[in-house]
Amino acid sequence: MSNNPTIDRSSRWKAIRSETGRAVGALLIALAVAFVVVLLTSKAPFEALNVLLTQIPQKPRTIGLWLDDAAKLTITGLAFSLVFQARQFSMGVQGQVYVGAIAAAYVALSPIGATWAGIPAGMIAAMLAGAVWGFIPGIAKAKLGANEIVSSLMLNYIAIELCNYLVRAQLPKPQAGVLTTNDFPDTAVLPQLIKFDGLNITRLDYGFVFALVAVAIVWFALYRTSWGLKLRLVGHNPRFAEYSGIKATFIMVSAMTAAGALGGLLGSMFVQGQGWGKLTVLFEGNLAFEGILVAIVARSRPLAVPIVALFYGYLRQGAQLMNIRTDVPAEVIGVVTAIIILLVSSSYSVTFMKRLFRRGAAPATAAVPAGSAAK
Amino acid sequence: MALLEAIGIGKTYPGGVVANDGVNLVIQPGEVHAVVGENGAGKSTLMKILFGLEQPNAGTLLLDGKPVQFAGPREAIDAGIGMVFQHFSLVPSFAVYENVVMGSEPKAGIRLDRKKAIAEVQALSDKFRLKVDPLPAVRSLPVGQQQRVEILKSLYRNARILILDEPTAVLAPQEVQELFVAIRSLVAQGKTVIFIAHKLPEVLEISDTITVMRQGKTVGQVKTKEVTEKSLAAMMVGREVSLRVERKPTDQTQRVASVAGLRVVNARGTEVVAGLDLAVHSGEIVGLVGVEGNGQAETLEAIAGLRAIADGHIQIANENAAGLSVLDRRGLGLASIPEDRIAEGLATGASVAENLVATKLNDSRYVRHGLLDLKAIKANAVKLIERFSIRVGGPSYAVSTLSGGNMQKVVVARELAEQPNLLLVNQPTRGVDLGATQFIWRTITDARDAGAAVLLSSADLSELLALSDRLVVLYRGKIVAAFVNSPDLTPETLGTYMLGLSTQTTAEMQVALK
Amino acid sequence: MMELFITVFSAAFFVTIIRTTTPLLLATMGGLVADLSGALNVALEGMMLVGCLTAVLVSVYAPWYVAVVSGMGAGALLGLLMAFFAYRMKADIILVGFAINILAAGGTVFALSIATGGDKGTSINLPSKAVPAIDLSFLSGVPGVGPTLTAFLSGHSVLSWIAAFVVFAVWYFLYRTPWGLWLRGVGEYPAAPEAAGIPVNKVRTWSLVVSGALAGMGGAQLAMFNYVGFTRDMTAGRGFIALGAVLLGARHPVGALLAALLFGAFEALAVVMPGLFSDAPAELIRSIPFVVTIVALVLFSIRAQRALALRGAK
Repeated sequence: MSNNPTIDRSSRWKAIRSETGRAVGALLIALAVAFVVVLLTSKAPFEALNVLLTQIPQKPRTIGLWLDDAAKLTITGLAFSLVFQARQFSMGVQGQVYVGAIAAAYVALSPIGATWAGIPAGMIAAMLAGAVWGFIPGIAKAKLGANEIVSSLMLNYIAIELCNYLVRAQLPKPQAGVLTTNDFPDTAVLPQLIKFDGLNITRLDYGFVFALVAVAIVWFALYRTSWGLKLRLVGHNPRFAEYSGIKATFIMVSAMTAAGALGGLLGSMFVQGQGWGKLTVLFEGNLAFEGILVAIVARSRPLAVPIVALFYGYLRQGAQLMNIRTDVPAEVIGVVTAIIILLVSSSYSVTFMKRLFRRGAAPATAAVPAGSAAK
Repeated sequence: MALLEAIGIGKTYPGGVVANDGVNLVIQPGEVHAVVGENGAGKSTLMKILFGLEQPNAGTLLLDGKPVQFAGPREAIDAGIGMVFQHFSLVPSFAVYENVVMGSEPKAGIRLDRKKAIAEVQALSDKFRLKVDPLPAVRSLPVGQQQRVEILKSLYRNARILILDEPTAVLAPQEVQELFVAIRSLVAQGKTVIFIAHKLPEVLEISDTITVMRQGKTVGQVKTKEVTEKSLAAMMVGREVSLRVERKPTDQTQRVASVAGLRVVNARGTEVVAGLDLAVHSGEIVGLVGVEGNGQAETLEAIAGLRAIADGHIQIANENAAGLSVLDRRGLGLASIPEDRIAEGLATGASVAENLVATKLNDSRYVRHGLLDLKAIKANAVKLIERFSIRVGGPSYAVSTLSGGNMQKVVVARELAEQPNLLLVNQPTRGVDLGATQFIWRTITDARDAGAAVLLSSADLSELLALSDRLVVLYRGKIVAAFVNSPDLTPETLGTYMLGLSTQTTAEMQVALK
Repeated sequence: MMELFITVFSAAFFVTIIRTTTPLLLATMGGLVADLSGALNVALEGMMLVGCLTAVLVSVYAPWYVAVVSGMGAGALLGLLMAFFAYRMKADIILVGFAINILAAGGTVFALSIATGGDKGTSINLPSKAVPAIDLSFLSGVPGVGPTLTAFLSGHSVLSWIAAFVVFAVWYFLYRTPWGLWLRGVGEYPAAPEAAGIPVNKVRTWSLVVSGALAGMGGAQLAMFNYVGFTRDMTAGRGFIALGAVLLGARHPVGALLAALLFGAFEALAVVMPGLFSDAPAELIRSIPFVVTIVALVLFSIRAQRALALRGAK
């Protein structure tokens, strides 16, 4: 009746197995659709598929790109996971990345940046800036009931324009007319992670370590602190949380703020990383939104996020490689991403699909899904 | 010939609940026919079947002598049956006439013919004495008028039979009279009205015929003129065998909590608790008797701090509760078992251990410096699972894997893990199997025996009679009777007060109100 | 400063405003229809982008009006896809919307690359067509105000005139026809139309399809008049500004029109300012619509809260 560890673990394994099955199923469907597209448009579709799926582990350089991408996807996946666990729909990670990058750039290009404190100060500034950017929609929702989807989306674009402006007109730049700042001093740039004789992986920097640390911290916060338990309870059942005396509004705001800090961290990882080492316009390339895929496939579980990020990063980089070596543009990955999100976020499952297409018409409900009702 | 007949209707819901069992109903044209019964008697299910929202498993429906089957409300509406639910389906910002005609609008080409719609609604309103202005937005109308809009919706679609589901539950007394005027006018113009109700004085005033239901069966059909209040109450409430749980003698002198002049207003603006004075002492169980919706739930929520009060004074453990948060009140020794365990009492997606500790997150046994002591939380869960015989795979299993009875046990375990000073209980054994019910009764009584003050609200009279030391009857938000529990106290007596048929004098009440 | 005034109040600026507003207005009307049916359509951006590309590619092989209709069709298809996943497959509509945006962003560049034989930036090498402007210079013949009339009214895109009509059509549909009543009922309180036998999910699906078609038309205007040809990510947030315009316009066609005009004016200003003042921060001007939207959101929320408090307090 009471504590039977084997039964405990087996039910959890069952859940993990069925979730993974669902995700893998979605991935296969998405890849199949992408393959059909490639088949129709490429002169060498099978070669393209080969490059997409197998070529990444062949060279240290591509492995570095892959792991670096995975690290960034992990951070944005964690940010969205936090927000989703609290049942909020703040979409502001992109904006947090940009303001974080701006803050990091200011620190890096200031006298502090030239000292040993360049990296830590930059990262902390970035996290603070991101936290503020996450706090704003949170407090607006908590105090005024203002829709956090709209406010966070608006803040994204404001951040991007702010970055464009600062880079063009305010921050020091190497020559007039270029849309980038000066290179950051080496002390403000994350050093390469693996650089030995014989194994020189360029693009991979200490950001990778920070991503792993972030996973540990977020996991710890969610599952080992009372704040995390309160957050999950609010996400499960806000009425019950209120009944238990948990201050739901404080929890929601703090969740969005913490996610904001993660977004800011990602910004600093971008501009203080080996990939850039300076602030330019539109450096982020919409990566922040791919965190949505990572979060929902990982079911917002921090420990699953890096695994999903690894798989997804592999696909993304595979697509880049495919773009370089074959005639298939990398953007076909957008099709894959979209289909995975659509399938995993719905009630899709093998049995559901069978029932859906057999009956032909699912019952209309009056229930409007959460996002649109949050006005 | 009867207009509408239900013969031998049976309905069993998946999960085994038998809502209707051989139910018979005979509705004559042009009459006001009341269907009465307690909660759970099966009235709503029968009405849903008549309106096509549910399909019966057995029996037949005859309309004008011909068998009919309604696969959905649309068919019932087309057959001339209209239903007005307790919860209205009106679009708040739309005008009255828009709500009435929506779905069957008069058109001029592709244009909605507003003039015609307004005129038609006005005409119906005048014809049936349902005075309501067609133009204003529905949300600006008082509840009584909103109800008229709902009735107009059915009349607009040429309903011959109108089913009104507890129409007076949401109305103020004057509005009730206006409704009755409208009903009489409807009947005078050839309509037939089926009226589901709890409040016997109203039923006796307005209806021609009454069908009584109890526990899924029809107990009988009587002509209103021929029935007495007492016999009606007896038919409704029945002769249930009263079990009594053994209680220890306790010192009941110490007042633990009290409310004075409590007034609570609901979201619609209706007063649901209308000046309540009540005290509960250590070592006693006070049962709040009443048909659901007469203020019991709101009283408990107000004391727990989950509902704002419009007026009045709440005292818990000699402290003024005004301004005290839910957590503060729990700190004073308050524990509460809510009415709806899934909506309010549990986070079904979280584990049993997490649910057991959710109300204690500022307790240093489980949380220190913001960190969870997982070992202590798990140990607590293991201990409580054993003590309360909760059948679950383990403390880390999600609550959603448990049966209804075991879910309730989790709630009970959490609230009674430590001896509370004040225990508020609402529907403790609803949807719970017999074994768990006995267990929960025992647990509540044990808490009382150890000195807790208990306020118990339940729709189950036998439960109240089994557990309570004193009983207080609420009707329309006020106390209308108070009793000290004794073997002579019968459900029928309680029924008379529950259904509004009589009120005790202040002197009689003082005997049992301390 | 004086120069700025003169520029802003000139007929040329007015024409610029109409030009910048047209795609935005069409997307806003699409957003309005979806919003009133209960769906926050965050995919307007993607629908518009797909409309841009489809119109450009089709216009290489077909007349401009066929291209515009295909742009609308592409947007409508995305609307149908959105409705399928949100209403049939029960996915959260926000997540579905973002998936569509991701699909559009990647898909358009992919298709562009295939069509241009490798150019992923622009369609400059494709002979895509433009939507014709309507020449009303005959108005100069009108005594007195003739030249002014011409300056203000002549030369607008066909789609600008259609967009004006669309505003009227949307208003008429929403407030004068039964189906508009159904749509607004579904968006506000779905239990009521459902009880009246109205097919709620069909209404919602249609509104998303229309939403996509309008956004697609806006995309066609953007890629066939404002600019001629496709550039990656050319919608630059207009789909989200449109959501802001819906909100600022208090979710009413006339209000949304005014809000779209206001935002269009800011976009026009952002174009004109750097010409007048060489270091004018065009970026900050471009972010004004977003800031205004947040302010409007806050103000409307405060008002809603106050109304709720008034009703609850007794």
